[in-house]
Amino acid sequence: MKLFTNISREASFLFKQKYLLGTLSVVLLLSIFSVWSGLSEMASQSSTIERLQEKDRTDRENVLAHQSNYGSAAYYTFHLTYSEPSPLAFAAIGQRDVYPWKHRVRMLALEGQIYETDADNPELSFLGRFDFAFLVSVLLPLFVILLLHDIRSSEREAGRYDLLVTTAVKQKYLWLPRALVLCLSLALVLLLPFIIGAFISGALLVDVLLICAVVAAHIVFCAGLIVWYTSIKLAVKQSSTQIASVLLSAWLVLTVLIPVSSDVAINKMVTSPKGGDILLLQREAVNDAWDLPYESTWNAFLATHPQWREYTDMGPSFEWKWYYAFQQVGDQKASALSQAYRQSTVNKDVLAGQFALLSPPMLAQRLMSSVAQTDTYAAMRYEQNIRAYHAALRHFYYPLMFTKAEFSLETMSELPQFSSYSTK
Amino acid sequence: MSTISQITRDEWRFWQRTKTATTILLIGILLTVISAVVNTIKMEDVTHEREHLQHASESRFLEQPDRHPHRMVHYGHYVFRAPSPLSIIEPGVDAFTGTSIFLEGHRQNSAMFSDQRQASGMTRFSSLTPSFLLQVLVPLFVILIGYACITREKEAGTLNIIITQGVNLWHLLIGKYLALVTSGLLMLTPLIAAAVWATARGESLMLTTSFIVGYLLYILIWSGIVLTVSAMSKKSSASFATLVGLWIVLCILVPRIGSSSAVIIAPSPGKLEADFAVLDELRKLGDGHNAADPAFEQLKKNLFTKYGVDTVEDLPINFRGTVAQYSEKKLTTVLNQFAEQRMDEELSQAHIARQFGWITPTTAIRSFSMMIAGSSLETHHRFLREAEKLRFDFVQSLNQIHQNTLDYKADINRHNDDKAARVNSSNWQVLSEFSFSASPATTRLSNSAPYFVQLLFWGVIVLFGIRAAVKGINQ
Repeated sequence: MKLFTNISREASFLFKQKYLLGTLSVVLLLSIFSVWSGLSEMASQSSTIERLQEKDRTDRENVLAHQSNYGSAAYYTFHLTYSEPSPLAFAAIGQRDVYPWKHRVRMLALEGQIYETDADNPELSFLGRFDFAFLVSVLLPLFVILLLHDIRSSEREAGRYDLLVTTAVKQKYLWLPRALVLCLSLALVLLLPFIIGAFISGALLVDVLLICAVVAAHIVFCAGLIVWYTSIKLAVKQSSTQIASVLLSAWLVLTVLIPVSSDVAINKMVTSPKGGDILLLQREAVNDAWDLPYESTWNAFLATHPQWREYTDMGPSFEWKWYYAFQQVGDQKASALSQAYRQSTVNKDVLAGQFALLSPPMLAQRLMSSVAQTDTYAAMRYEQNIRAYHAALRHFYYPLMFTKAEFSLETMSELPQFSSYSTK
Repeated sequence: MSTISQITRDEWRFWQRTKTATTILLIGILLTVISAVVNTIKMEDVTHEREHLQHASESRFLEQPDRHPHRMVHYGHYVFRAPSPLSIIEPGVDAFTGTSIFLEGHRQNSAMFSDQRQASGMTRFSSLTPSFLLQVLVPLFVILIGYACITREKEAGTLNIIITQGVNLWHLLIGKYLALVTSGLLMLTPLIAAAVWATARGESLMLTTSFIVGYLLYILIWSGIVLTVSAMSKKSSASFATLVGLWIVLCILVPRIGSSSAVIIAPSPGKLEADFAVLDELRKLGDGHNAADPAFEQLKKNLFTKYGVDTVEDLPINFRGTVAQYSEKKLTTVLNQFAEQRMDEELSQAHIARQFGWITPTTAIRSFSMMIAGSSLETHHRFLREAEKLRFDFVQSLNQIHQNTLDYKADINRHNDDKAARVNSSNWQVLSEFSFSASPATTRLSNSAPYFVQLLFWGVIVLFGIRAAVKGINQ
């Protein structure tokens, strides 16, 4: 009860101050812009996927109508894969502008195709997006600093400090309600647009609550740090602006220096094979296969697909089964390198998660993109989905090619669909 | 003149006494030095690595055994983009674009393996590049050093004393301004050193000089903003709050709002969507692997009349090679048309984002810096075009060999007698060397001009600001 009266008293004081209302409305506007731009970008990504699905389907139907065997059908048909933005992707675009979220694959060697990216405009990625996660991770601490740095010193500078401290029953009834009112109003203006946005995009309640918790925790961390700093002896002698300078330096360390030096450290700790080497290896394997005797392709192929041992005899002319077998062998040869490459990406991400514990802004950013499924992990899972789907295509075509089945569009209607391989 | 330098010296002495300013300055210089060194080493490594990969790729192509020429068309070739010397200061889009392209027949692949895709994701907001430090952090340092340069005198009541002693207000402000500018310049020295290094590495002196001039102007602008706000504010706390607010808005917010707006204003459908249209067009052209495709009937007839024969077998050239050449040419025209369209879309997005340079000097210096350094989107596009030219040249040369050197009958019979349908590996010499370098100095200078104008515009704004501040104090 006591706390409540204190809070309402502080609130009535604080909201008479114009600068406070000004700051809060700026934050509200920024939050609205971030949510709106995120929503509109995700809407455009969703409609792009829809358009692509439609085009992909008609394109494949057209192509299949002209085919007479499964080999050329597999050669000429492309298959769209995509990673649908999650309902909360609007709040944290995360790594979605660096990793691809749409891809078309054929039944050729996958390692030669999967690194192709239809990435976003590099200059815009370089400038960075203004999404809600950015607002929360990078800017929120600055807002808290602006609002809270002079919580004690302003009273001291106005000459009221000693009077206030002596008249208050307990010191905590004095500063705590004020900090609480400021933080709550900041949280309100930040979260209100986000919650409305989440409602529009139909996000799960749990996820929305998780994001709110991240925002709240980040505010509590910043506010706690500031209230603590302003209470220690060192800060008593400092003016408001000196305190703010110190806090800004702390922000600089947490938001810029720690992430940047962790990046350097992570790159030293994890060695990654060069992406180009995977491609080279795969290309050499596939191209050399044309000149090699059939057996060498078949031996490598049968090692992983023994069920086709009885079907490898070759006629006088070109045969598709052999063509796809050496595509498969190309993938197999590059497989170790490719796995090491992916593993190093995962390792870097895991390390980044550990280093992020040192930097609350980075941690907030990572947690939000993890909830929004726009982090590196989600991008890797999408890649995994593509691989699974590609494997399903092979699984579908191999029996048809090896048994030299009669081509029929009816069989083709059982072609695997990416949608059943797209896991969340 | 002596009054001005006296005031500048006094300001410096004050900074030394209070220690805060000198600490900030030292941190700023230390950071820029570290970033310049780290980045220079990294870029040197990258340059060597890409040059090495380029040579390796070329020799691998040349070492291929005797083959059917069309097999080499599909074997393909890699090209790598070497960074420009000034990338040690401004890597620009380098980390976000792929830096290598696989070139093969019938396809235009996109650049692959961008650094950011293999990065820890920790450097999405900030990076340890001299350009980030100078564009974003140095303004903050200048603010922290100088926010109280005039308000301090006001609060202590010394401003009135100085004025009544007969010191011209302009002299006072210029003196303070010079003190701020010199502090900024100290943080700029590592960049100047790196620019000298880049000149030694073969960058044109004109470019490095204008690069430094651009950053100098940027420091002048921010020092001017700090001075103006400090002169207009009554209290140090107000000056501080205003300046930090301005810094957040100008250095962090507006550039990102610019890029978010560009995506919304000029959405780009992306390569994949264009690929459908490309495929549609290509199917109309006919499949170049299949010389019997009806699309090549006219070509065949023309050749028959030209050589006075009735059958493909009687032609003195290999018709399959002719078809490959003909269809590659048509197909490339279509591919280029779509590629150009896509590049235009990207450029128009970038142009929208760059217009925000009228709203914040940070975007202006960033565009200027990328243009001069040759690490802008335009440079990447030029890389794509040059790679495409190389692709087309070697594919067509191989097709020409297919047409002129390989016997048609052997070619038709290649599934039965694979050995006869090959040409000598000395033919692979048609591949020309690829070395990418950024655009010539004059192009980069003229491309950067609009952004220099933006910076000048900010210079003028700051001048007006200082004048208004002088008027305010005089009243």
